[in-house]
Amino acid sequence: MEAISVVFENLPFLLMGALDTLKLTSFSVLIGLVLGTLIGMGRLSKIKVINVPSTVYVEFLRGTPLLVQISIVYFGLPQLGIQLQAYPAAIVALGLNSGAYIAEIVRAGIQSIPKGQYEAARSLGLTHWQTMRYIILPQAFKNILPALGNEFITLTKDSSLASVIGVTELMRRGQFVITRTFQTFSIYFGIALIYFLMTFTISRLVRYVEKRMAVA
Amino acid sequence: MSKILEVKNLHKSFGNLRVLNGLNLEVGQGETIVIIGPSGGGKSTFLRCINHLEEYQKGEIIFLGEKIDKHHSNLNEIRTKIGMVFQHFNLFPHMSVLENLILAPVKVKKISKEEAIEKAKAMLKKVGLLEKIDAYPDNLSGGQKQRVAIARALMMEPVLMLFDEPTSALDPELVGEVLEVMKDLAKSGMTMIVVTHEMGFAKEVADRIIFIDKGVVVEEGTPDEIMKNPKHERTRNFLRHIL
Ligand SMILES: Nc1ncnc2c1ncn2[C@@H]1O[C@H](COP(=O)(O)OP(=O)(O)OP(=O)(O)O)[C@@H](O)[C@H]1O
Ligand SMILES: [Mg+2]
Repeated sequence: MEAISVVFENLPFLLMGALDTLKLTSFSVLIGLVLGTLIGMGRLSKIKVINVPSTVYVEFLRGTPLLVQISIVYFGLPQLGIQLQAYPAAIVALGLNSGAYIAEIVRAGIQSIPKGQYEAARSLGLTHWQTMRYIILPQAFKNILPALGNEFITLTKDSSLASVIGVTELMRRGQFVITRTFQTFSIYFGIALIYFLMTFTISRLVRYVEKRMAVA
Repeated sequence: MSKILEVKNLHKSFGNLRVLNGLNLEVGQGETIVIIGPSGGGKSTFLRCINHLEEYQKGEIIFLGEKIDKHHSNLNEIRTKIGMVFQHFNLFPHMSVLENLILAPVKVKKISKEEAIEKAKAMLKKVGLLEKIDAYPDNLSGGQKQRVAIARALMMEPVLMLFDEPTSALDPELVGEVLEVMKDLAKSGMTMIVVTHEMGFAKEVADRIIFIDKGVVVEEGTPDEIMKNPKHERTRNFLRHIL
């Protein structure tokens, strides 16, 4: 019984952490979206100096552990004279990481739009960028919304790694409570439940938006 | 009759595949040219070279006195003067009919939205689809889609219109309404190049029929000359197939 009441007693403290997790994740996804859209388009460019770096970026960030990436940003960059606080460092690392995954999603999304759409727009005199902005990306984003939702969920879970550099998000706060109460199982399980509630809500939200957009 | 378009010795290949092999054509102001020819003969590729959706390797395309190639400083502006209508319509499905029509005039020609809307209404009236102004492409029949696509191209006030098999994806009963719009356009003096195998249309409005096979113009002449008296064996064989 005590094991359960410990969770409830510390719930406000843990929920503050959940809020930080959500904030951390949202900022990172935002950075990831901007970065991923640019790099995703870059991957499809015929121009080598755009295409090659984009590909290298995606391969490197997907091929290395997020924990290592976070460590490079937080512990490594100071050696090069770039000092970031834990929270911004986590946002940067998670944002750069999700940028790589979102780039692949965006690339697939762009490729899912029939070539005729691009050609029709160009034949009307729109530039490449105007065509991307008004014709290709709006349609692509509609198609990739489920995949983007998945990325959001993955990132929500992965953001727990920010605890290792001392960001007081959900995981870190859970560990605080454990050092005070020694209730390892119930606190970790409680945290798991809170993570699940967040990811479940996000997936429902995405499905709702998807349905709304299918109607329009 | 002033020259709108002049194509000289045009060569185009995709890798090893030679698609255009020295194609020549001149088009004068107000002319309607119908292009016919077997599948894979390079008709679409030729149209796409004219507004530079495809690059070519050799030869010249001169439109309104300007050479159209990859070195041209403003291909986008050239493209506003060349309307293109596709076999599969290529309307923008995430935009209403009105939005489809005003996008390019507003974003490319920078005319005001109000002016563009007025113009769109007039254009839709012309193709008989004013009541569909707020509809989305998915809710239109094939014939309606193609008429909207024609209106969309005309919004830019092109000097030349290119049609690539505009009726071949349509159910037979919807072909007529699209051809009517195109006939009106031809009779109003628009310069048009139309790839089609609708010989009734060709007979009624074409000034010349061009037969393209294996990337060259095999034969050209008035509809009467081509349809009644083709000079080349290849033309005769082909016409026997489609008539
Ligand atoms: N992007 C491309 N890459 C490679 N080959 C292509 C490409 N586009 C066309 N081709 C090839 O070029 C040749 C000519 O094609 P094109 O579409 O111009 O012929 P067409 O006369 O329009 O035929 P159809 O009557 O079937 O439309 C064909 O063999 C085609 O497979
Ligand atoms: Mg074709």
